Amino acid sequence: MRQIALYGKGGIGKSTTSANLSAAFSEKNLSVMQIGCDPKHDSTRMLMHGRWIPTVLEQMYEKKDIKEEDIIFEGFGGVRCVEAGGPEPGIGCAGRGIIATFQLLEKMKALFGDVVVYDVLGDVVCGGFALPMRDGYAEEVYLVTSGELMSLYAANNISKAVARLSGRSSAKCKLGGVICNAKNMDNEYELVNEFAERIGSKLICYIPRSKSVQAAEVNRMTVIEHDPTSEQADVYRKCADSILNNTDFRIPTPLTLEELEDLARKYL
Amino acid sequence: MFSAYHAMAADSDTFSIPKVIVSNITNREVIFGGEEALLEALDRADAENPALISVVTSCVPETIGDDVEGVCASHSAAERIVYIPASGFLGGSSQDGENIALIHLAKLAEPAETIPKTAVIIGEKNLESEVEENYAEVCRLLARLGITVSLRFCRNISAADIRKLGTADFFIIRDERVEEAGRSIAERFKRPYVSSFPNGLSGSIRFLREAGVSCGMSETEIMEAVSAEEAYQEEQLSIFRELSGMKVSLGFEPFAGCHAVAREAMQRLNISEAADGMEIKLPFYLPVGLSGVLKMLYLWRREKRR
Repeated sequence: MRQIALYGKGGIGKSTTSANLSAAFSEKNLSVMQIGCDPKHDSTRMLMHGRWIPTVLEQMYEKKDIKEEDIIFEGFGGVRCVEAGGPEPGIGCAGRGIIATFQLLEKMKALFGDVVVYDVLGDVVCGGFALPMRDGYAEEVYLVTSGELMSLYAANNISKAVARLSGRSSAKCKLGGVICNAKNMDNEYELVNEFAERIGSKLICYIPRSKSVQAAEVNRMTVIEHDPTSEQADVYRKCADSILNNTDFRIPTPLTLEELEDLARKYL
Repeated sequence: MFSAYHAMAADSDTFSIPKVIVSNITNREVIFGGEEALLEALDRADAENPALISVVTSCVPETIGDDVEGVCASHSAAERIVYIPASGFLGGSSQDGENIALIHLAKLAEPAETIPKTAVIIGEKNLESEVEENYAEVCRLLARLGITVSLRFCRNISAADIRKLGTADFFIIRDERVEEAGRSIAERFKRPYVSSFPNGLSGSIRFLREAGVSCGMSETEIMEAVSAEEAYQEEQLSIFRELSGMKVSLGFEPFAGCHAVAREAMQRLNISEAADGMEIKLPFYLPVGLSGVLKMLYLWRREKRR
């Protein structure tokens, strides 16, 4: 079983990338599970044709005898979709929610398949959001970033968490690579490629900005489903191939803030 | 719910134990927030129509960022609710907790007209050792100045009485442990304060002077009270003249300041300190006023007579 986690700055396109990668994996007749680890619980929505599926945390406290069918829903390509869920903004502890979700999935022995994709909220804001890579779940971490400085800053921060956690005996996670979800900035490919190399990793794929993504989302589908013959669908398929063929996992060497700023300035 | 607190209270014959209601925070409240659980707990408390509801937070609601103050303020019983942020994880000690509790409870009181020659004691505890004996000694000393203690905060005080804190002519802080709260409350009501109960013999005289000055009494009035107390001290110490000429060893100091109080009494009674002297017991708590010193001397005399 391959367990991969996508981390990156909020709004950078982790959920879109995760859903399209899951769809691409499913095309290869792989058994795929995608777990959205974000209280806003929209990771799997495009796989579910716009349906907001009940979250694990909702069900956990509403149902006494919670079953797999209460929290795992089949989406496009047979992808088993799960949303951790969490509190409303400004209250409670979402990180604790992630921990509780994984404890339940573990207890139910629900984590299985050829590929499990974890789509994790923005940054590693607290220990709860580091859990997917801390307790032996995610073995490969992919940083999703654009060429914008704050996006690279978040990716660099996550690489710090990977570096710290990969040294622990219970953690199996390593950095699998960097995914550039482009904003169509000048020199964006070169910038993100060098960033990946400087943190001791590699650019695993470059996803150009495309109108077909927006079109698919408006129609509540992944690009793979909505426009399977499009160039963008092929980009996601190639990205999925790169991940499946990837055997080069590293402990990253994060940059200092000054190094990161110098790098961004270089490609202005 | 029965705790060490309840056991200690029963041990010291304190039976007016406030009812404790817990919001019962579980994993669910940690994830989704504990504000609803607090609201339910407040409703349960309010249903019993108490004069005061103290909301004391533990670490969990403060860690997850529950807006406890907001929930308390928006409750229909808000005027009877006091929020006491008491989580210890921010580095506070139990002493800080006591000060925070006093400061927040005192917010019930509004500024009020001063009642002349009244003092409010801040920081006595229900479970304090010899609390009534010490209080009696403080009252005895204040009586020499014509001052009375109007409120004891907190010593089985009611919510209605807490609201009258602002009437104090001045405040008396129990000891340095609650100095922060005492100073804060005194500053809030713009009244003077005496920083501790009287410790030992000279401490009693100092206490009389400070209390008199705090009440705006004249030097003549204060000196009259001081002279009367000094004469009374001499009279009472004379009961222990048989201890004169003794050599004693003080040994371990159980409470900071005990040695100073003991040495002062020894000097007045011509008792000397020597390493090979009779080992004498010191009270576990700092002796309050002359009565505290006399109690200590009774112990010494008993040991000498053995």
